[in-house]
Amino acid sequence: MTGLLSRRRLLGTALAAASGAALAGCADDRPAGGRTAVRFLGPETADTFRPVIRGFERAHPDLRVEYTPVPPAQLNDVLQLRLSANDTAIDVYCVDQPRVPALTARGFLTDLRAVDRRTRAAVSQEQYGISTWENVLRCLPVWTSTQYLFYNADLLKKAGVTAPGADPADRWSWEHILQIGRRTMERSGADYALLIEQTDAYYGIQPLAESLGGGSGITGDDMLTPAVTTHGWIAAMTWYGKLFADGLSPRGVSSFEMASLFTAGRAPFFVGGPWNLGAFASLKAFSWGTAPQPKFAQGRAVTPTDSWSWGINPYSNRADAALRFMEYASLTTEGSLATIAASPLIPSHRGAFDRYAADLDRNATRSTQGVAAIMRHELAETAVSRPRSIGYTQFETVMGSAFSDIRNGSPAEARLAKASAELVRTWERLR
Amino acid sequence: MAIETHRSPRRRISPARHAPLIAAVVIGLLFTLPLLWVLAGSLRPGDQVLAGLETLSWRSVVPTDATLDNYLTLFQGDFGRAVLNSVVVAAVTVCVGLLLSATAAFGLAVFDFRGRGAVFAVILLSFMIPFDAIAIPLASTFRAWDLQNTYAGLILPGIGNGLAIFLLRQFFLAVPRELVEAARLDGLGWWGIFRRIYLPLSRPALIAAGLTLFTFQWQSYMWPLLIGTEPAKQLGPIALGTLQGQMVVDYGQVFAAAVVLTVIPLVVLLRLQRYFTQSIAGSGLK
Repeated sequence: MTGLLSRRRLLGTALAAASGAALAGCADDRPAGGRTAVRFLGPETADTFRPVIRGFERAHPDLRVEYTPVPPAQLNDVLQLRLSANDTAIDVYCVDQPRVPALTARGFLTDLRAVDRRTRAAVSQEQYGISTWENVLRCLPVWTSTQYLFYNADLLKKAGVTAPGADPADRWSWEHILQIGRRTMERSGADYALLIEQTDAYYGIQPLAESLGGGSGITGDDMLTPAVTTHGWIAAMTWYGKLFADGLSPRGVSSFEMASLFTAGRAPFFVGGPWNLGAFASLKAFSWGTAPQPKFAQGRAVTPTDSWSWGINPYSNRADAALRFMEYASLTTEGSLATIAASPLIPSHRGAFDRYAADLDRNATRSTQGVAAIMRHELAETAVSRPRSIGYTQFETVMGSAFSDIRNGSPAEARLAKASAELVRTWERLR
Repeated sequence: MAIETHRSPRRRISPARHAPLIAAVVIGLLFTLPLLWVLAGSLRPGDQVLAGLETLSWRSVVPTDATLDNYLTLFQGDFGRAVLNSVVVAAVTVCVGLLLSATAAFGLAVFDFRGRGAVFAVILLSFMIPFDAIAIPLASTFRAWDLQNTYAGLILPGIGNGLAIFLLRQFFLAVPRELVEAARLDGLGWWGIFRRIYLPLSRPALIAAGLTLFTFQWQSYMWPLLIGTEPAKQLGPIALGTLQGQMVVDYGQVFAAAVVLTVIPLVVLLRLQRYFTQSIAGSGLK
């Protein structure tokens, strides 16, 4: 009886507490302490943006920032749903740079002409351009990117192979990488020759096709005509499919798992982004080095670029505060550096970029020797942006499926033709 | 001795007789392997979780360098609050949802009113439409009602569950009418009959309906993503999703979060599963 009573009491208490909590949750979210809250939404962990939010709040005591992380895979769906419903509860959100045209076309980005001149002066020319659409500034760039070739120094040593140099003039070819990779597999017991971090992502694959003159994959005056069946695309994708068919790269391993395979000594080469620099450096027992991303022997050197900008929701009722937060993160050296304090990405801001590059040089170890020079060279000479089209969102999805199928054994030419037909049908609706 | 001699051939064939049991145990163990792998991964440093992905060995499920760091780091962040939110949302949903479902089921099982069949058909239909199909327009409505980022917004869609009403109605139909008539003769009102006769007799069905409501809320992902994204109102599954950033993922923490979010419903289900089975048997579903 006592047990029954206590259980009842427990249930009653839980219900009362929960109902109280529910009612409390119904109350409106007025800014705490009289400070206006800027509501910021993005795909990164809270830790990534903590330094920039703290820095901004210190510099602007009348404002605070409420960051809402959204799982990366759902970011675009959540934005599409909430912005198309004229949601006023988002002030600032992260904008994947190749999606600026599509977001602008849907009316999801505020016109930022008011800060155009300051932005042009503060950020790199390429990053300014990518944040505009139809000559209007639509968002403020925060990060840019490039890719490096990372190698496992111990495995190469074990195989008796000289490691690639950091000088872009001595850039290795993909063909050479695979030849050395095979040799390392035979002599050191590595399981694979090469790991590509962004396997099914257009960002990681575009440089292969561009290197062989295949173009971006989108053409036409309105940039709504697929061009993924060019000779360059077919040759690059045939090479890509063979990489997995020959067992030189693993099937069934997702992008996020590739870095773990590399640091576990399963492959001598890994092509990945600058965010890996920090993660690799923290592994004391791991001996690695950095070199420029390879190109095809008969092709030109091409590296991926672009990253994230931040935009203001046109339905936000705190646009002024939102712009102040974005200006701090994008247009000031201090704010821009704070955006990369927790995750070593490349800042779009010129001053912050110089400081970032100088820090890379100053703190260079044997593993990161020459990284700053590689980064400067690639961004200036070999970087190719993703295509600017209002149909990029659909393009990325369709091509992602094609890359995955080719990686898993589909014949490249036929699969690219299928993707092309799919894009024609999909883009018909956007014309 | 003669008996012993007679029994020994039977013993020899017993492994064959037990083959289905042995097969069931082996298959059961195979099913637990992924769970053990996740548990082992949650006890490893983040960079080592996927390192041995393709070479399955005993080390895959037994961490030799076990550490609780992932759990400590996890609960130092917002994950603990998200789990608590999930518990609160699921508890309120179960309590309020059971009350509503039981009264609705009672009405459908006991009262003979015009249109009863139509009402029951609508309820049947309601749980055959996937919730995700109506989540987007419903989210717009909730936003218009200013229910986003509130507990009420998270809880309300889970309360009216057609399957729970169906389960309880089927169970209530099996309660002998004589009991109701006797209670009426003794002067008991309908509320008293519901509370003193139907509810005590239907404990297994109530537990089954409660579990249905609980699992609906606990596994909910799309809805809280649309309506409760603010950190203070985030639920466990969303917090798990946000542990993965765009560039870097700490799989140790992701696995630890997955373990926490699995263990809680596992304990609830294991504790109450025998009532659930009884209820399914009694509801005519089996």
